[in-house]
Amino acid sequence: MFDLFSDPAKVAQQLEIITSEYGFAVWETLYALALEVIFAYVIGLPAGVLLVTGEKEGIHPLPGWLMKLLNAVINLLRSVPFLILMIIVLPLSKVLVGTKVGTVATIPPMVIAAFPLVARMVETSLREVDHGVIEAAQSMGASTWQIVTKVMLPEATPSLISGGTITLGTILGYGAMAGIIGGGGLGKMAINYGYYNFKFIVMWAAVIGLILLVQIFQSAGTKIAASCDKRLKNRS
Amino acid sequence: MEPIIEIQKLSKTFGSGDGRVAALQDVSVQIQPGEIFGIIGLSGAGKSTLVRCINLLERPDEGRVLFHGRDLTELKPKQLRMQRRKISMIFQSFNLLDQRTSLDNICFPLELAGVSRKDARKRAMELLETVGLPDKASAYPVQLSGGQKQRIAIARALASDPEVLLCDEATSALDPKTTDSILKLLQRINRERGITVIIITHQMSVIEQICNRVAILDSGVVAEIGPVESVFSNPQSKAGRRLVSPDVAQPVTHWEIPTARIAFNAAMTEEPVIAMLAADKGICVSILGADTRNVSGKAFGTMLISLPEDVAQRKIVLDYLNAHEGVSAEEVTEDV
Ligand SMILES: Nc1ncnc2c1ncn2[C@@H]1O[C@H](COP(=O)(O)OP(=O)(O)OP(=O)(O)O)[C@@H](O)[C@H]1O
Ligand SMILES: [Mg+2]
Repeated sequence: MFDLFSDPAKVAQQLEIITSEYGFAVWETLYALALEVIFAYVIGLPAGVLLVTGEKEGIHPLPGWLMKLLNAVINLLRSVPFLILMIIVLPLSKVLVGTKVGTVATIPPMVIAAFPLVARMVETSLREVDHGVIEAAQSMGASTWQIVTKVMLPEATPSLISGGTITLGTILGYGAMAGIIGGGGLGKMAINYGYYNFKFIVMWAAVIGLILLVQIFQSAGTKIAASCDKRLKNRS
Repeated sequence: MEPIIEIQKLSKTFGSGDGRVAALQDVSVQIQPGEIFGIIGLSGAGKSTLVRCINLLERPDEGRVLFHGRDLTELKPKQLRMQRRKISMIFQSFNLLDQRTSLDNICFPLELAGVSRKDARKRAMELLETVGLPDKASAYPVQLSGGQKQRIAIARALASDPEVLLCDEATSALDPKTTDSILKLLQRINRERGITVIIITHQMSVIEQICNRVAILDSGVVAEIGPVESVFSNPQSKAGRRLVSPDVAQPVTHWEIPTARIAFNAAMTEEPVIAMLAADKGICVSILGADTRNVSGKAFGTMLISLPEDVAQRKIVLDYLNAHEGVSAEEVTEDV
């Protein structure tokens, strides 16, 4: 595995694969990532809001059984290992997106695995919002919806962005694993060429690509979160 | 005059079993329009709970809160929200939105009420002017001092054009000088806009400086209520005396001699009554403790004296002192 470059013919062949397929793999990775993140937030963000507002001491208490159910579902999905979850949920892809193979087919299982994480991230961020500020809004006659949209979410924005960055990294990791069931992208490249075909240069190139993506997202996320946080005094 | 706010037989208990705390017990208070009403009490007396019951941030277990004669506890959520716009609140910790500028903080209640952005900003600028911070429009809360934050919070509270302003320990986090300027601002708002102000505090000085009437809250019960001058110059309740003259109130429990408490209204008593007592009646008393206070610019004093052992002589002393205008004396037993 460490003897990567001893055979010039093999090296040339692998470089060929990289030049012809790498760009598409990156694109596929990003495209799947974007869809997964969007859907994970479409479900996870409201769920996270409900976890905070619906509890007994929250601003809009919901029936106890409903909160218990929501928590149980989220915990359950969070505790199943992603690989297993993916295999269990794959039949659902046939129903939702009409196919059980390919990049698109991996999106439903990824979303189902990722939205509970998003919900917990959002929950944590919203809990950081000072209760006094929410109370002030209530004293001004704000409705539950106004408190969520005008107080909780805007006040928690820097924290939500930080959480989003972590979510992005995790989903990227899931995406790499989805290569096993035929999801396209850098993950598939690493597994197919590296693990199944001993083309380790390709594998490393794909892995390094994934590492770089995570790094870029992480530093961009941290910067954006800091730049939109008005609580930081020494803003430029 | 019909009270603007009428608190009727309010009770509130927190927790259950051994952890039960009766935060409010059968509290009734009437607030008149245009007055500055103070509620004072020691920590844990239930002051915050009481003020939070006025706008129903806290739901009382029993009792009613009438605003212009209308029972707020019976309103539907939407109606209650509408009424809350008429009862603004400011807090010890300011509770500004950290991610909004001062101007946008002041716009917030107008935004909630659906006022257009342009009109809201115009009104917010006027209010910044009112609270003396027109140059801080684009500053974020983190860039403001405590006193400035409270001014922004006051401007925000005024944005919805309220009739009542609730202040829960609004100056407790501020230094004396800043406290002074915030109180002056509240006083001006009360005078110029006719807004009824309800002030919660544990600082006597705050009440003395700007309140017309005061209620003393003690362990969830209203111990005493009345004009600030009379309550502070001659408190009738134990809680009141402990609050008004803690130095005079404390040591008595340890002395096993008959004592009397004398309240002086110094504006009326220029005479040296204790010396006169000795001269006129031949009875000497010793002074066990004394305290003077300045209430709305007038001096008030409280004094503890020893009384003769003889019951008849005791009566002579008390009658003599009470005969003087501006002096009231009474024998105290056990605790003051
Ligand atoms: N949400 C709550 N849950 C349980 N107990 C509470 C709650 N809020 C208040 N209490 C209790 O009710 C009592 C009155 O509290 P409150 O905050 O009204 O006092 P306070 O007079 O405002 O005191 P402070 O001057 O310290 O602010 C206290 O014993 C307090 O522990
Ligand atoms: Mg309090």
